[in-house]
Amino acid sequence: MQIVFLLEQVVNGLVLGGYYLLIALGLSLIFSVGGIVNLSHGAFYALGAYVFVTISGVTGFTLGVVVSPVLVALLGILFERFILRRFYREDPILSLLVTFGLALVAEQGIRMLWGSAPLPANLPSEIRGSVILGPFLFSKYRLLMLAVIAAVLAAIWLLLNKTSFGRVVRAGIQDPDMVAALGIRLQPYMTAVVMLGVGLAALGGAMFAPITTVHPAMGAEILTIAFVVVIIGGLGSFWGVVCAAMLVGVVRGVTVFFLPAASEASMYVLMFLILLLRPRGLLGESIQKFES
Amino acid sequence: MHDKTATLIGSALVLLALPFVVPLLGLTSSTATQIVVLAISALGLNMMMGYTGLVSFGHAAWFGLAAYAAALAQKHLFHGQILLPMLAGLVFVALLSLIVGALLLRRRGVYFALMTLALSALTFSIAFRWTAVTGGEDGLGGFDRSTLLPLDLSDNLTYYYFTAAIGLVVLFGLIRVVHSPFGHVLKAIRENQERAEFQGYAVNRYKLGVFVLSSTVTGLGGILSGFQHYIVTAESTSIEFSGELLAMVVIGGMRGHILGPAVGVLFFTLFREVLSGWTSDWLFWFGIVFVGFVMYLPGGIVGIVQKIRHTLSPPPDTAAAMSNRKIYEGLDLPASLRPAPFKKAEVLSATSVSKNFGGIRAVREAGLSVAPGQIHALIGPNGAGKTTLFNLISGKYAPTGGQITLDGHSIAGLPPHRISQAGLARSFQITSLFEGLTIRENLRLSFQAQHAGRYNMWRDVDSYTDIDAETAELIRFLGLEGIEDTLGADLSYGGQRLVDLGIALATKPQMLLLDEPLAGLAAAERERVSRLITTMAQYIPVLIVEHDIDRILGLSDVVTVMNDGAVLVSGTPDEIRNDTRVQEVYTGTGTPAVTGARAANEAQGTPVLQVENLHSYYGKSHILNGAALEVRQGEIVALLGRNGAGKSTFLKSVSGLVRPRDGTVKFAGTDIAGMSAPDVARAGVGYVPQGRGLFSGMTVRDNLALGRLARPRGEGGAYWTEERIFDYFPRLKERITSHADFLSGGEQQMLAIARALSADVKLLLLDEPFEGLAPAVVEDLFRVLDQLRTVVPIIIVEHNLDLVLALSDRVYAMEQGAVFHEGPASDLLDDLDYRKKILWL
Repeated sequence: MQIVFLLEQVVNGLVLGGYYLLIALGLSLIFSVGGIVNLSHGAFYALGAYVFVTISGVTGFTLGVVVSPVLVALLGILFERFILRRFYREDPILSLLVTFGLALVAEQGIRMLWGSAPLPANLPSEIRGSVILGPFLFSKYRLLMLAVIAAVLAAIWLLLNKTSFGRVVRAGIQDPDMVAALGIRLQPYMTAVVMLGVGLAALGGAMFAPITTVHPAMGAEILTIAFVVVIIGGLGSFWGVVCAAMLVGVVRGVTVFFLPAASEASMYVLMFLILLLRPRGLLGESIQKFES
Repeated sequence: MHDKTATLIGSALVLLALPFVVPLLGLTSSTATQIVVLAISALGLNMMMGYTGLVSFGHAAWFGLAAYAAALAQKHLFHGQILLPMLAGLVFVALLSLIVGALLLRRRGVYFALMTLALSALTFSIAFRWTAVTGGEDGLGGFDRSTLLPLDLSDNLTYYYFTAAIGLVVLFGLIRVVHSPFGHVLKAIRENQERAEFQGYAVNRYKLGVFVLSSTVTGLGGILSGFQHYIVTAESTSIEFSGELLAMVVIGGMRGHILGPAVGVLFFTLFREVLSGWTSDWLFWFGIVFVGFVMYLPGGIVGIVQKIRHTLSPPPDTAAAMSNRKIYEGLDLPASLRPAPFKKAEVLSATSVSKNFGGIRAVREAGLSVAPGQIHALIGPNGAGKTTLFNLISGKYAPTGGQITLDGHSIAGLPPHRISQAGLARSFQITSLFEGLTIRENLRLSFQAQHAGRYNMWRDVDSYTDIDAETAELIRFLGLEGIEDTLGADLSYGGQRLVDLGIALATKPQMLLLDEPLAGLAAAERERVSRLITTMAQYIPVLIVEHDIDRILGLSDVVTVMNDGAVLVSGTPDEIRNDTRVQEVYTGTGTPAVTGARAANEAQGTPVLQVENLHSYYGKSHILNGAALEVRQGEIVALLGRNGAGKSTFLKSVSGLVRPRDGTVKFAGTDIAGMSAPDVARAGVGYVPQGRGLFSGMTVRDNLALGRLARPRGEGGAYWTEERIFDYFPRLKERITSHADFLSGGEQQMLAIARALSADVKLLLLDEPFEGLAPAVVEDLFRVLDQLRTVVPIIIVEHNLDLVLALSDRVYAMEQGAVFHEGPASDLLDDLDYRKKILWL
């Protein structure tokens, strides 16, 4: 029985990992393309959740989950155009400070618009409840989320690796000058990547709203976890981030089982351990600009 | 200095008055205490942020942890006391930050900042969850501050003056640290960490030192805050509070004045107190103010004040600094810089030194030996491995194999600061100095690195009269007297080169490595620096890389020639001058392996590209200096010249990757100078960079598709369809699904050219297309380019003269950013003596 419960926790950990992945992947993408570590990424996640709650209250669950990320992605256009664009060629520390300030503003802005109290978000009845698979008992919604996350992950992988959009983005990461010398303006691609990144965060917020509490500080909470994932995986590495997200999710899932109070501390300890063994993260490369 | 005293007296007065001023604004005296407490913490944080350039998003961790530690110490160990618990809290934070710092400082820049963020999250999680020890959500109360005889600290005003007194002591201490040798090294790390390492500083120890200092001072604020409120909560370790501290520091000003962060605290507190009376959303507005400061006023409030002051009374203009200096000719090297007699006959010796980068063998079994009193020149064409060898000797990279000894001691594989301490100094090809420090400070830092007081955190840096005297002597020797107080950033390029050399010399080396010390200097300055080097070399042997071959052969005693990562030959300048192998490396054999068709008709085609008076800069260095060139339909034009003559920059300036500052580039009737690279590419210029610039992890097809994606196809001019490209490059068709990384060198080059052509391309720019190719492949590529000339004119930069002269129709030779020779290629190809006259000595 203990083993079964533990395995369940592992699977729950994977769901958790998938959820971190949605945030961390966008963070990592924006970082790779623009060289910007977006500390306001958590704010877009929180916005995604709040917009979802507002919309789904009117139109129902499905439309909420779809529309909220789209709206937040549109907000990402402004974010890229008026803030990030000024910092691509600057000292990365400056963009760190600016996005940190924006996170503060966004969190307070959410308090002003939606209030400080946590908001409820409901699941439609058809995806409530659990399913039994062999000896395991799983929440239906969590399984559904895992499927959505897997689909999103596959879609992003395809987008980056099998489309000309992805080719330009990857080429731009490697050698922006060469891309320019082939007549390609990178600017619209930057905008698109930022939209994609913040849209993913918002999707995470929207999907998790029904099974977590929607509150103003949720962005700050997820942000540090996402950074732990990115540090463990290696900034800018797709598979590194994927592995790290799953690892962190599982480690948290398992510590919740053994030592609930330490479930948050455990991932930080994991991060420091990995840092000791592999200073650049699991699959990270040395990027001069960010280490000087 | 009276500046420091003024700061202290001013702060003391403000602190005395604060409790009486604050009530006038309708606030309580505990607000005054809070201002002092936060100011202490912010000053501590700024030791890292402003002075060392290490951004911490997690300093609340130390603020909170120190308070917890003090509370627990008072509760369990020192009941009823106040000073001992405070001390316990400080010691706890100091020790813990020593351990954590050692771990976190393994990473730099953004990574470090993110780690500190995680640190704060971790401490918050522990403080919040470990209820048994920390009281969890309720916080840890029960601080007792009643008993510090004869003071009754439970009285709020008394406690205020208690914290104010501590604040003053902290300020005094930090002023001492900032002005100490230790503090100056922190600034050096902020300005240029690599240079500080090569100066001989164990940079990591300094960073760890300031990490512990900064954490402990911030922790002191936390302890005082705990005693003020009688409680410490988990929130005080949170990221939010870390961010507030950081914002206070940034808003106040990180670098203008030591009190900048305290000003920020004042601003924050008043902002909060005043605005929170009006709206509960004061933090929203504070965030906007913070963002505004970072985006538009990164100098903070102190920066604004300074800007206003500078506008009212502008500081003397230092732009023309170099002309104000006093030059003494014929000075001998200052005695303090002359090393003790050498024990060995060889000062520096390198034997079979190798270095692999991935699969590339950048240096192969290289060896050289430098004797006392010698100037030893290291020459060779681009990519020969000279700078890499410098980097191996000076410790930037550890060699893959081989021995390096300095006066008999092995230095191979040591970190740069150890090698520097062992007595080997270097200058840099790309000027490396501390731009935010004055010339005197730049050089003084080097002397200080050799001084026993280099870790001193207390003594004033100006009180080391021995170092000052040595610095003054060196400044005189270098010819920089009169402009000692000019900032590195304000110097001309030549001045910066000289300071770079001075920084190396001032570490009192036994052996000096100079990487192109004469590059980019004006003619008179070249002469003078050459004489300086000759003077130094009488005492300190010099190993020098230089592309001005005439000058270096005239200057040196021994010359080592490198080619393709290996040493070709060592000998006297005369031997080298007459060595046919060396001549072949530079000017070719005169018998090309292949010959081209060359333009059959001597009749001139219509001009496609006309460049006039082109000027381009990298930072301060003036790379193109009025270059001019013309390309006509149906021809291949070769651009020749020594390393650093500006050939690659010329191609980049035409293609828009470097924005020229002046001149015209007329292409197909329009002036494209100043247009962005994508626009130039769309106008029909195809560019292949040195090293090919292929996108790895992508197939041949993907690479070609990227070439075609955004450029016009077929509207005007000849469109290079895929079939047409495969006619010229049939190999690519066979390998269309292969990854670019797995192609042979020749195939990669062909792919790069094919990709550049994949649009309406009317001009092709090739940078070193034959580099690193096997002879058979060279021939293939040669034939393709030979055929291409009839359909698309080409500018080619290539160091293999036999090849490029056989291929091209006309030749332009560059030197110092300008064209000094123009003519048909055939004359240079056939007449080897003429070629030497133009291109060699």
